[in-house]
Amino acid sequence: MTRRSIALATAAGCAAIFAAVAHAPRLRAQQAPPLPVHQVPDAKNGGTVVMLCDGKTSVEVKGLKPGESMTHAQAVEVTRELMVQWQREHPDEKWQMAQAGQSSQTVPAPPAGPSASLAAGAIVIGVKPQPKGTQQGDTYASFTDRDYKVWKNETDNFVAEGKRIFHDSKELGGTIGVSCDMCHPDGSNTHPETYPKYQVQLQRVALLRDMIDWCIENPVKGKALDPNDPKLRALEAYILAQRKGVPLAYGKH
Amino acid sequence: MKPARTLLLSLFAATAVVASFSPVGAQGPGPLADPRSENQAGFPADLYAWVIPPDNPQTPAKIALGKALFFDDRLSADGKISCDHCHAPAKGFTDQLPTSMGIHAQFGQRNAPTILNAVFNVTQFWDGRSPTLEAQVQGPVTNPVEMGMKSTEDAVAQIKAVPEYQKQFRDVFGRDVTFADIERAIAAYERTQLAFDSPFDKFIGGDSNAISDSAKRGWATFNGKGRCMSCHGWNPTQPLFTDQKFHNIGVSAHNANFVPLARKALDTLGQSGGGEQEIDKLAIGTDMSGLGRFLVTKQPHDIGAFRTMSLRNLLVTQPYFHDGSQVTLWDTLDHYNKGGVQNPYLDGGIVPLGLSEEEEDDLVAFLASLTSPEYEQAAREEYDLQFKRSRTNRPQRDTAAANGDKGHEPGLAGPFGDIGPAQNQENPALLGGD
Amino acid sequence: MAARHKSVETKYMEDRDAVLRGLRGLDRRTFLKVLAATTGAVMAKSLMPPHSFQLVEVANAAPDKTASAAGMAGAPPFTFAYISDTHLYERTLNQRFVRGAVKAVDDVNALDPQPDFVLFGGDLAQLGRHEELDLGRQILGEVKAPVKMMVGEHDWFYDMGDAWQEMFGPPNYSFDWKGVHVVVLMSVHEKDFWTARKMTPLERMHTVAGLDNGIQSRFEVGDDERKWLSADLANVPHTTPLLVFSHSPLYKYYRNWNFWTDDAEQVQAILKPYRHVTVIHGHTHQMLYNQIGNISFYGMLSTAWPWPYAPTGLPPLTVQMNRADPFDQFDGLGDGRINLRADGLADKIYSLWDRNPVTVKADYLVSHGKIARPPAPQFASY
Repeated sequence: MTRRSIALATAAGCAAIFAAVAHAPRLRAQQAPPLPVHQVPDAKNGGTVVMLCDGKTSVEVKGLKPGESMTHAQAVEVTRELMVQWQREHPDEKWQMAQAGQSSQTVPAPPAGPSASLAAGAIVIGVKPQPKGTQQGDTYASFTDRDYKVWKNETDNFVAEGKRIFHDSKELGGTIGVSCDMCHPDGSNTHPETYPKYQVQLQRVALLRDMIDWCIENPVKGKALDPNDPKLRALEAYILAQRKGVPLAYGKH
Repeated sequence: MKPARTLLLSLFAATAVVASFSPVGAQGPGPLADPRSENQAGFPADLYAWVIPPDNPQTPAKIALGKALFFDDRLSADGKISCDHCHAPAKGFTDQLPTSMGIHAQFGQRNAPTILNAVFNVTQFWDGRSPTLEAQVQGPVTNPVEMGMKSTEDAVAQIKAVPEYQKQFRDVFGRDVTFADIERAIAAYERTQLAFDSPFDKFIGGDSNAISDSAKRGWATFNGKGRCMSCHGWNPTQPLFTDQKFHNIGVSAHNANFVPLARKALDTLGQSGGGEQEIDKLAIGTDMSGLGRFLVTKQPHDIGAFRTMSLRNLLVTQPYFHDGSQVTLWDTLDHYNKGGVQNPYLDGGIVPLGLSEEEEDDLVAFLASLTSPEYEQAAREEYDLQFKRSRTNRPQRDTAAANGDKGHEPGLAGPFGDIGPAQNQENPALLGGD
Repeated sequence: MAARHKSVETKYMEDRDAVLRGLRGLDRRTFLKVLAATTGAVMAKSLMPPHSFQLVEVANAAPDKTASAAGMAGAPPFTFAYISDTHLYERTLNQRFVRGAVKAVDDVNALDPQPDFVLFGGDLAQLGRHEELDLGRQILGEVKAPVKMMVGEHDWFYDMGDAWQEMFGPPNYSFDWKGVHVVVLMSVHEKDFWTARKMTPLERMHTVAGLDNGIQSRFEVGDDERKWLSADLANVPHTTPLLVFSHSPLYKYYRNWNFWTDDAEQVQAILKPYRHVTVIHGHTHQMLYNQIGNISFYGMLSTAWPWPYAPTGLPPLTVQMNRADPFDQFDGLGDGRINLRADGLADKIYSLWDRNPVTVKADYLVSHGKIARPPAPQFASY
């Protein structure tokens, strides 16, 4: 088929569909009552009124002439304002956001008085939305996603520092070019979950950091680190991080 | 010493808890032979309960009988050698000879281990060929270069000939004299020779002034750079300074024959060398003695391996190692410091240590602090002798090897790295550890 | 101490004589080929020559049976020993690895009867430096039996094999031995990961030296060398037993640690037509063995340090060894021997230091574990 003939065929097809659609309401009208039509209130300030699909809640976007497009930021504000109003009318209703990955949350209860300005791009951060039906006000309940993100970054950096030292004989203070990863690639064969246990090489009950120190002194031939040395703590962190999910089993040989 | 005279002395038997049928010399075994109290600092009560066998419980009468037998030279073929001949109480229950002298002035190949705290040994003898104190008795009694009895029946006959013994055995065991019961009685006596209560035990117990600063530094080195603790392990449950295992630390390799002998032995692995008496003869009487634990297990990794000995009361149980070849504690430390004596079967834990002279002195001070109070005077005298000798006479010292300045292989020139830096570990006891 | 073995000079003269004998057995064209290769590379430089001349073996890489007349006739059984993965640092830095290498040399020299030859399994140096390789050459120079050298990644990636080839000859070669065809592969090639990252030679070497950094490429034999292998095997009858020496395992065990050969399947395909193939490989520093189709794989022990078993991918036939004691500088390490049986299969003896030796029989592998199972561990990896 030539391009032209395809176009003709498409046009004909569309026309046919259109005709069918145009006919459909009349067909349906013979079988069911007419669909409800929302009554959108008139704009009072020369802007555009946007209505929620409940047919009741509406908001006027000032300065938006009919036919004009909103910016994305404006649209976000508009929807937020609509939800605030709706929530005010339905204080006991629960609802969930349909987007994947979003936790269910409600829009924060707006302050009394006129609704917040619809300044473009105004997004409130740093305030944890308080889920309904949960305990509130205490320290742990006030942790936000931002907090978790910061803390995870800190922890991962600490573990990464441990990994760096683990793989570097000079950082360990070793004198013979031996680093931990030679016998323990990826931290294997360290079994931190088995401490405390009687460590045969030390002939005493040891914690993980005692054994790290012993290994630094013996196979690595460095000076044992003070228990509070940040390097030792970082090494311990790296080793523990490699065994996430392994059940604790103190005393296991 | 002769049977007739000892019968007269049985007057004492009825009255004293401790009976002396055949006194050593004319004085009797002396107070150092007495059973020791369990009320000593550092005494491991739990462990002691575990090691008393249920079929040979301790009773005063049995202990008294055992003591009598221990000092009785009837157990030897010529009537001149009793157990205390090689295990004399005044000499830390050893004979302070390099290797022991037995019947007809024959010398064996092994140094006499102490009876002190022998109750806690998992196995007896340097090569662990005896599983219990009871079984150990038979070894010397029937060994041709020790007490020389042709058989245990001969020993039983000697003891049975004494009516007092017959009565004692019936009282204690409810039957006639048997060798097994002789073993049980002697073992029961040996189980009373407990030696703790040393300055170190008091230090661990909380008295920080009980040992010198030098000894404290020695204890830290013992745990750290010296690597001693890994084999001479100490903990409050088992405070014996031994892991009860067998290691080749290279002492046998002083003998040039050792390696060819070992290779020959490996080739004939599993052939001959069967029963206990056979092994006993090989261990004590022949040049195969240097093969150590291998004679017992026939395992290749046991060639030249000997039991880690306890470190208590070393200053009254000199000389040292299975062949008694080292005269002072400094000599033993020099041996370890240079990485032992190279041989193909050397335990991989033996490495050059790089200890300084001061560190060695501190270690000896620490070892001296393991002396039980009843030996304090004798130990002090021995320490002075050894100290003086150590200032001028150090046949084992090899500083270049200890510091890694030269390799072990002739022809492989050093210097080599590998000796760790001086430790900065605090005294583990002060850190609140055990 | 009495001399237990010949001096390097005596050995050199003996090797040289053997070369000349072998050379006389070649046809003219091959002779000239060998001469060209050696004169320029070795003799003219007045360098200490390779301990064991591979010249004749290089010549034999061409399917040339005349060399067998020069003294290599015979048939299995025979035994060869190995020393592998010594990872030497220069001597003032680390004595411990030197002790291990020397201990292996002593072990091999004490064997009675002596093995036919000693394979060096790769990773002589730790960072591929000249002084490390030199130290290794000096230590291996004490071996009484002839030494066959194989290269590992630690020897190669500092200078892309310059020092190695200068000291020890070509990285891959083959020879015939008592009716067995022996191929020595360079199986630790890597696709270039360093140029884009602008790495210096030392950085490249350090990256390769780290087992778990995930930056280096996976090992491979590579297209060129696979072609060489095919050509080398072209005239070897399929009934001839094959011994393949390789540093990387020639199968896929654990990718993250480069216990891996990327083109393993392709290499195995080249080896498939042969009735009995035994691969002896290094790099894994543990008791390890496998059977894939007609190929038996035996991993060699290291003399420097043991690796733990990988979390996944361990061949089901491998019976693990007990965990190593870090107090013991020799535990988990050792050397070993391979017995080539009359039927062309191979048994392996793992001479583990400070432990009882373990023998793994070809019967165990070939029966896929039904008979002759090696002893079980009491303390497997966890």
